[in-house]
Amino acid sequence: MTLFGRRLPIAVATVAAIGLAAAMLAPPERLQGDLQRLMYVHVPAAWIAYLSFAVTLGASIAWLWRREPRFDRVAAASAEAGVVFTGLAIALGSVWGKPTWGVWWTWDPRVVTTAVMFFVYLGYLALRRATLDPMSRARRSSVFGVVAFIQVPIVHMSVVWWRALHQPPTVLQPGHPPIDHTMLATLLINLAAFTLLYLLVVRARVRLAVAEEELAARALAEGSELAGSAVSAPRLEVK
Amino acid sequence: MTAGTTPAPARQCAELARKDLLLEWRAGEALLVTAPFGAVALMFVPLAVGSDVPLLRQIGPGMYWLVVLLFGVLVTLRQSAVDDQAQRAVLRLCGVSPAVRLAGRALANTVLVLTFALLLAPVAVILYDPELSGWPWFVLALPLVAVGLALLGTLADALADGLAGRTALGPLLVVPVALPLLLGAVQVLDAARYGYRPWPWLLLMLTLDLLVALAAGLLVRHLEETV
Repeated sequence: MTLFGRRLPIAVATVAAIGLAAAMLAPPERLQGDLQRLMYVHVPAAWIAYLSFAVTLGASIAWLWRREPRFDRVAAASAEAGVVFTGLAIALGSVWGKPTWGVWWTWDPRVVTTAVMFFVYLGYLALRRATLDPMSRARRSSVFGVVAFIQVPIVHMSVVWWRALHQPPTVLQPGHPPIDHTMLATLLINLAAFTLLYLLVVRARVRLAVAEEELAARALAEGSELAGSAVSAPRLEVK
Repeated sequence: MTAGTTPAPARQCAELARKDLLLEWRAGEALLVTAPFGAVALMFVPLAVGSDVPLLRQIGPGMYWLVVLLFGVLVTLRQSAVDDQAQRAVLRLCGVSPAVRLAGRALANTVLVLTFALLLAPVAVILYDPELSGWPWFVLALPLVAVGLALLGTLADALADGLAGRTALGPLLVVPVALPLLLGAVQVLDAARYGYRPWPWLLLMLTLDLLVALAAGLLVRHLEETV
């Protein structure tokens, strides 16, 4: 079994190529022109960030319920992917914001709450890194994985609660979405490409986590020294 | 101890909170160290942004809430709130549930954060000379901020318990999630200043408090389990 597999990378490359072509061929927006094409990566990145954190929530609940290590691996991998996609959404939004709003960063509620969500999940990853014992790590991060999700609806609803610079929901607006059908189709193709990329990354990260665990178990069984143990022994918690 | 003599959970919670407050009274960490540090932070802001009185009057309430939030986290993560294994084992054997222990700690933290915020309020008034017409709303917002911060701090403390980087990790876990508290507290005073009734902001803070209390109550037993 390889880290990335065979079929999924091909599917990701194919759909991403179609998405890129569609983004290039889609009609330009009347006021923003070609700049609006950033939407085809900015919006999917933000949506995949939501999806990642929702998967972290689900896997955390599943771990608390079933105590199976695979759920912890999925929660961690998804949170890592979510942080990357959130960072990407913020960076792309910043690139889009400079020519349209005149600034790289603005104190718009959607922008600020998204950045806060980024830090919430950085905290989740920091908590995992700080906990050496695998069982304790899974338990603590599962609890925080549930609490941290409070931030996601706040980010999504921020454009409804506070009307500022960032536009309100377009595609998820109830009724008829006020977006050109070609643009909507292009956006959905790119969303599919990002979703496949997310699945590829999470699967690879889960496989890597399994390999890491096997390596650690083998090292422990062989009684070999851990890196840094000459300086101080790793302090595992005793509960 | 027999089942018949086990105190009610509310009594257990109150006794645990009393114990925490007594320990803090002896250690003096939150009110004798963190509170003066918060006052120094409030004093340094005008030195950083300039001593422009109208500007300070405008930013004063926001700076006050920011210092309460950031330093309030330190209050909840104080060293005197660290339980060792033996203390926990005794409480477990006495039949004190993890939820009651967490509630006791959260109650003590609420009292301390409230006291901390009340100590800093006159300092902020003296240094920034803010508009005081919305003080009844401030009185309503303060307990909501204190309860929310205490609950989040207690939960973060339980999450980071026993870790080497507990005091560094705790604030990173609490502060971003506490955003609605900061927004709500600042907007309550702003709304009051412009003559609006700030009920939606109070409701936002109350919702966060209830959600965190619910999550903590449901999840705390998973943190207390032995491996």
